[in-house]
Amino acid sequence: MENQENKANDGDIKIVRTASTFDCGGRCPLKLHIKEGKIIRVEGDDYGHKDEQLRTCLRCRALRQYVYHPERLKYPLKRDGPKGSGNFKRVSWDKALTEIAEKLKEVKKKYGNSSIFLVTGGAYQGAYHDGVFAMIRLLTQFGGYSTHYGNVSSEGAVYATQTQYTSPFVGHSRTDLLNSKLIIMWGWDPARMISGTDTIFNLIKAKEKGIKIICIDPRYTDSAVVLADQWIPIIPGTDTAMMVAMAYIIIDENLHDQEFLDKYTVGFEKFKEYVLGIEDGISKTPEWAEKITSVPAETIANLAREYATTKPSALMDCQGPARSAVGELYNRCAMTLTAITGNVGKHGGSAAGGLMGIPYGHMFFASRIPPPYRNPVETGLKSVRGSLDLQLRFQARCHTNKIFDAILKGKEGGYSFDVKFAWFVNNNFLNQLGNANKSAKALKKLDYMVVADLWLTPTARYADIILPVTSIAEKSDLVRPWPSGPYFIYANQVIEPVGECKSDLRIAEELADKLELEEFEKYPDEKKALRFLIKLREDTRKNIRNIDKFRQDGIHRLELEKPYVAFKEQIQDIENNPFNTPSGKIEIFSQRIADLNNPENPPIPKYMERWEGRYDPLNKRYPIQLISPHPKNRVHSELYLVEWLKEVEPHVAWVNPVDAEARGIKDGDEILVFNDRGKLTIRAWLTERIIPGVICIFEGTWYDPDENGVDRGGCVNTLTKDAYSPGGASALNSCLVDFKKFKGGA
Amino acid sequence: MQIGFYFDQTRCIGCSACVVACKDWNDIPAGPENWMRIIYNEEGKFPNVFVSYIINPCFHCKDPVCIPVCPVNAITKREEDGIVIVDSDKCIGNEECDTKCLKACPYDAPQFGHEKGAKMRKCNFCLDRYLEGKLPVCIESCRTRALDAGILEDLESKYGNIKNADNFTYSQRTKPAIIFKSKNK
Repeated sequence: MENQENKANDGDIKIVRTASTFDCGGRCPLKLHIKEGKIIRVEGDDYGHKDEQLRTCLRCRALRQYVYHPERLKYPLKRDGPKGSGNFKRVSWDKALTEIAEKLKEVKKKYGNSSIFLVTGGAYQGAYHDGVFAMIRLLTQFGGYSTHYGNVSSEGAVYATQTQYTSPFVGHSRTDLLNSKLIIMWGWDPARMISGTDTIFNLIKAKEKGIKIICIDPRYTDSAVVLADQWIPIIPGTDTAMMVAMAYIIIDENLHDQEFLDKYTVGFEKFKEYVLGIEDGISKTPEWAEKITSVPAETIANLAREYATTKPSALMDCQGPARSAVGELYNRCAMTLTAITGNVGKHGGSAAGGLMGIPYGHMFFASRIPPPYRNPVETGLKSVRGSLDLQLRFQARCHTNKIFDAILKGKEGGYSFDVKFAWFVNNNFLNQLGNANKSAKALKKLDYMVVADLWLTPTARYADIILPVTSIAEKSDLVRPWPSGPYFIYANQVIEPVGECKSDLRIAEELADKLELEEFEKYPDEKKALRFLIKLREDTRKNIRNIDKFRQDGIHRLELEKPYVAFKEQIQDIENNPFNTPSGKIEIFSQRIADLNNPENPPIPKYMERWEGRYDPLNKRYPIQLISPHPKNRVHSELYLVEWLKEVEPHVAWVNPVDAEARGIKDGDEILVFNDRGKLTIRAWLTERIIPGVICIFEGTWYDPDENGVDRGGCVNTLTKDAYSPGGASALNSCLVDFKKFKGGA
Repeated sequence: MQIGFYFDQTRCIGCSACVVACKDWNDIPAGPENWMRIIYNEEGKFPNVFVSYIINPCFHCKDPVCIPVCPVNAITKREEDGIVIVDSDKCIGNEECDTKCLKACPYDAPQFGHEKGAKMRKCNFCLDRYLEGKLPVCIESCRTRALDAGILEDLESKYGNIKNADNFTYSQRTKPAIIFKSKNK
């Protein structure tokens, strides 16, 4: 204890600049205070005026507890009990890597390289030390590996933007929100899901400028609390019905921008025929949509008129509603609305498309050491270039949300490989993909599994060998933002590695020795390697003249003359700057999709009923829709054990009092949420902020089944399905459940 | 002189960055001792819902009622800036005096750890930072810039003189040093 007045003012504190590197949608400069080699405090950005700063969120404010958490892995571990038991014993690096190398050689010889499965995720990202790239390089040079396709977060949006624009860079600089006259936030909660470090503050500034903001969401989100002039609650999975009905009003009342449509798009007529009911005899009126969405027809019609007549308007469709069986159709409908109203390529407008990224300083362009040649397991396949045929992606891969199904079933289940050895890096997929109970079953059956991680995650519990990885504080690297920017970050090493932790790159380099892969190129000098990587990419080479200053500042900000606007060049001069699509225009109708001849994947965006939504017959048995948005105090399942974060928001399920009363449940009661895939327990939080018939459980708490198979960790993926939409979206938000008061047992 | 806080309630998303930053800067373990808290309020019926947040540090009241109730005079108000501080060495702990300061405070600012005999600690306006000319860490950690701090008079001339906010009542008895932009229902 101390007298607060006499707190010693230490002079021997050193400041080191690093950054957040979680899979969070933010990239925030951090100033860490170091005393006697230990991090003692975290400060955020100190650049210029406070309104210009890239302020970090609560997650990295707790970085110290993350780095020094007593449960961080410090030594290599070897399994010492049944898979999943969590019993491990400490082994030396030499022993661990020797065993892994022997196993790899054995599997390669006995079953071939396709039996080696590389399972990659997006956690703790980097460039030089990046685990995914290190392992891709190593296993490519070892003769190849099998892997998976499709990112869990945003594959619906990826497919949608590839269809209509054939470009993933559909975003604007966040400051461009202030040029808007109306902002529609659809399924978007950047107060929790960061969507770019500067996003929430620019939205607040837009609101304070008098720009009207409308939020459409099953929940009255934290963002809506401060931003929404109007909240329109909607039944999950029915967003496309509302969008199509908005198009109906806009077309019916002749509010569409025909000139824009003629000049920049193809296929509007076909979409119009569908909307007006010429195609199928059903007019997609607001009254039609009201029955599906529960949104009053008048609300839909008014929003349609307001959106079509207020210019420019920014329709911001986030990725959550597309993380469902509806998938890509959601983002495609939104993009079509932006075209109908001529809001694409204009300041204050929006091209929609969910991804929200800009092509400056983006993570997609991260400078990494590439493998010297293609993965030998994937050579000689049919090219996927330019194609929207998802099946081509699965010539040698499985879908990401089918990783565990592929492990379970292999070639007999129609997959292109049988897994005999799996390397999990940068992920906790047992926890974060659909159907965790099935995933656990698959991992129990898996022959051999290596996990590189900072934590003994629910996934790592099934490993044969766990390799402990350094945090960003323990290495230097280059990191980049993705949904917004533009800036580059140089993260400086802050402390010595905790325990015997190594970076994924070093692990790959040491394993290369054990595998006698002499051609595997090493980059032992970190400082030199980072200099090399800065020069390797054009954008950093051109912009960063003084590398020492970059290192010192920890960040290099790019100044754009005007806020970046997606497709501005195309709209200004389509003759010379066509879109990347085959037609050179925005493809509301996609011939590439029409050619696939799959009725579930229509060439024009539509409302389609899909499985495990409100109108699935299964609803009779499981009448509640489960949605699983991003948590505010973790990044997915990362940071889960950090106490400072845990205590700011207990893990609770949002339940509307109407649904609670029908089940005799009171606020704070422990409930059992269940379906055929699993059961979990969680406390009910009764709130008017969620539409009746829907329960919300934030994803990312750790799977923890008890002796009855009930997940006491409340991991939402115990209930979700390992399935994907026709465009490849992981359909985690299409999930039917019921719940009741938990009375113990099963 | 009197320091104070400004809180723009219309900007607060309840994210708790200030809560965590406070714990990190002041090195407070996870647990019941929270020098900064956020109080949630929800009213109305679906779909007409109203939600607000209030920050709850120590408001460094002009007439702090915690001071006279302390049996050992461990709490003082600094003359030069009005920051209310506690000498935890003097404090006799939560068991012996039964948390008289906490009971007297209308805002629950005095904080105790969960251990028996825990001594009182609380928000000290980040005195160490203040003496270096820096704002409290909660201010600098706020992503939506909902918070400001400084000399109360200066804050009043900059932001006005609104003393009440949703879910917050100005105590005439203690005179908390905070002004608001309040969120209206």
